[in-house]
Amino acid sequence: MLADDFFLVSWDTTGTGKPRLHVQGIALGLAGALLGELVLHRRIVVRGVRLHMSDSRPVKESVADRALADLGNSPHHTDVRTWLAYLAQRSLEEVSGRLLTAGLLERESRRLLKRQKFRFFATDFSHAVWPATRLRLALGQCRPLSPQDMALATLVDACDLTDTVLDDPDNRRASRDYLTTLLATMPQPLRDLSRQVHAAVGDSVLTYRT
Amino acid sequence: MTRTARTGTVPDPVAGALAADRLGAPTVVYFVLSAAAPLTVVAGVVTTGYAVTGITGLPIAFLVVGAVLSVFAIGYVAMARHMANAGAFYTYVTRGLGRPAGIAAAWVALIAYNALQVGLYGALGAAAAPVLERWLGLAPAWWVISLVAWALVAVLGVMRVDVNGRLLAVLLTAEVAVILVFDLADLMNPAASGLSFAALSPSALFVPGVGALLVLATLGFVGFESSVVFSEESRAPRRTVPIATYASVAIVAVVYALSSWAMTVATGPDSIVATARRDQADTVFVLAEAHLGSVVVDIARVLFVTSVFAAMVSFHNTTARYFFALGRERVLPAVFGRTRARSGAPQAGSIAQSALGLVVIVVYAVLGLDPLVQLFFYGGSFGGFGVLLLVFVTSLAIIVFFAREPSGEALSRRVVAPVPAAIALAVMVWLALDNFATLLGVPEGDPLAWVLPVVYGVAALLGVVWALVLRSGQPAVYAAVGMGAKAATAQDTA
Repeated sequence: MLADDFFLVSWDTTGTGKPRLHVQGIALGLAGALLGELVLHRRIVVRGVRLHMSDSRPVKESVADRALADLGNSPHHTDVRTWLAYLAQRSLEEVSGRLLTAGLLERESRRLLKRQKFRFFATDFSHAVWPATRLRLALGQCRPLSPQDMALATLVDACDLTDTVLDDPDNRRASRDYLTTLLATMPQPLRDLSRQVHAAVGDSVLTYRT
Repeated sequence: MTRTARTGTVPDPVAGALAADRLGAPTVVYFVLSAAAPLTVVAGVVTTGYAVTGITGLPIAFLVVGAVLSVFAIGYVAMARHMANAGAFYTYVTRGLGRPAGIAAAWVALIAYNALQVGLYGALGAAAAPVLERWLGLAPAWWVISLVAWALVAVLGVMRVDVNGRLLAVLLTAEVAVILVFDLADLMNPAASGLSFAALSPSALFVPGVGALLVLATLGFVGFESSVVFSEESRAPRRTVPIATYASVAIVAVVYALSSWAMTVATGPDSIVATARRDQADTVFVLAEAHLGSVVVDIARVLFVTSVFAAMVSFHNTTARYFFALGRERVLPAVFGRTRARSGAPQAGSIAQSALGLVVIVVYAVLGLDPLVQLFFYGGSFGGFGVLLLVFVTSLAIIVFFAREPSGEALSRRVVAPVPAAIALAVMVWLALDNFATLLGVPEGDPLAWVLPVVYGVAALLGVVWALVLRSGQPAVYAAVGMGAKAATAQDTA
């Protein structure tokens, strides 16, 4: 699933167990990925700043179906940004929960000054590094990507994680150029979705407060 | 919360969930005022202002500027409601007066906010030296203290460690409390000449050099414009944002007018200039020491240091975000629009701001310039004048915008308030330009008095030229000017 892949890219589950991306970015990226899953399953359509449901049949996966049910219950909310903000509130818990249930992750929690901090460790190394490796290889060798990987690549870029994936600075420029080309050829709903995520991450920088 | 969580009679779970952590007016006021650093203004700007300009009308100037900004705010918050990206001044200018004017305003803003931030490095030495000497027996050069602070600000900037909101609220409350205690002590112990209202009299404004006072007063209000940034996050934007804006302006006007007046009462209006020239940034503390215990004064001195430091961090972040917004629009190179993955900080903007700060500190140290007057006060005056220019141009943008798109706003918000506000601001800008030499305390005709304002003129001109270059060369970038982070939705990213 797209959101699982995004989680594994944005979280260092094979090393420190800590996030590679700031928590707000992960939450928004995962929210975008959850919507992206519904787009890939042809349940919702994203056009510009708006989205609407095109098919309410469940996709038979509890996290995605819960998001789908919420979308179905509030059809008057059509703003992508509203749904990103709404899903971002629980996206980390839900997606990590999905990976925990599948036995792909283990969670370690510790309290630090009253704030609970989680570390996540992968149980299967190759499964955990596969999404990032896939992107790195495809972007580095300018190979075509599946729609799901295109969505992943643009979401990763929208959250400014591209440099983390492309860890070889020499190849970055060519890979980035290829990514730009990819974005132009991407299905329009996924492209609009990733732009909304990019804007949401940017706005979160401008209104940051502690 | 339940009020906004419902549409009609059916509870709306999405709106309810999103409203749960939204901000009320008091919180927004705290966010706005936290950047204001009241003790920095009262102990630093006001006293140095008396010393440099040699005129005493600052208290009434705070009230007059507060009144003008309140009237300006009526149109400002009204226009904010009709903007997809209600952020900094340049977004209003873009919407009202077009993209070339918008980019010109953005350049002016970048310079002004950078000047305000860098200027604070000059104040820290004056603020921290007495504390360090008394408690640690150290007497380092001002630039040593500033470089330590600079390094801290630079690291906190890229780590995206903002001073915690709660801590800031506590500091702000303590600062205002100390200021009010000082004011009370000053007012209860007037100079031999008695309780004088001279500095509060409107006639105090009809003196040569009044434009200098208006710039300094404007400087005290910098940050009031940021209330609109929180419109998407506030509980009831139509009410919360206006209330928070008016409240912030009113609080600033009253606290600063009262404090600057109380100083003149304590010394006598005739002696405040001489006293401020002798004691400089120590003035308020020396005055307070005469009547209050040394404990209170010691606490106040520490708060002065924390106040300057908090302001440094705050202005650093504001400036870095300015770079970031312009990077996202591609008005600046795209690298400014990227965040640092681990922290989410606007990395390139933060580093650029820090680099500028370092250069300025080093240049001032090498040339042996005066940190308090030539760095802090000039930086503040120069930056304050830039903000005044921005407010003025924004006031024009508001009028033009509502003339074109009434947007269902009442006549009072579209015309009746904005027009007088723009006229008053035009007069302020004109007086400021006319009295720039007084503002800097240099003789009439000194090159500095025209070079500094010309910097903004050149920046604005370059902004317009850059806009025209973008229009012909990169129409997609040009189209997204003024959209801030939302520019991503209008153009191809990556």
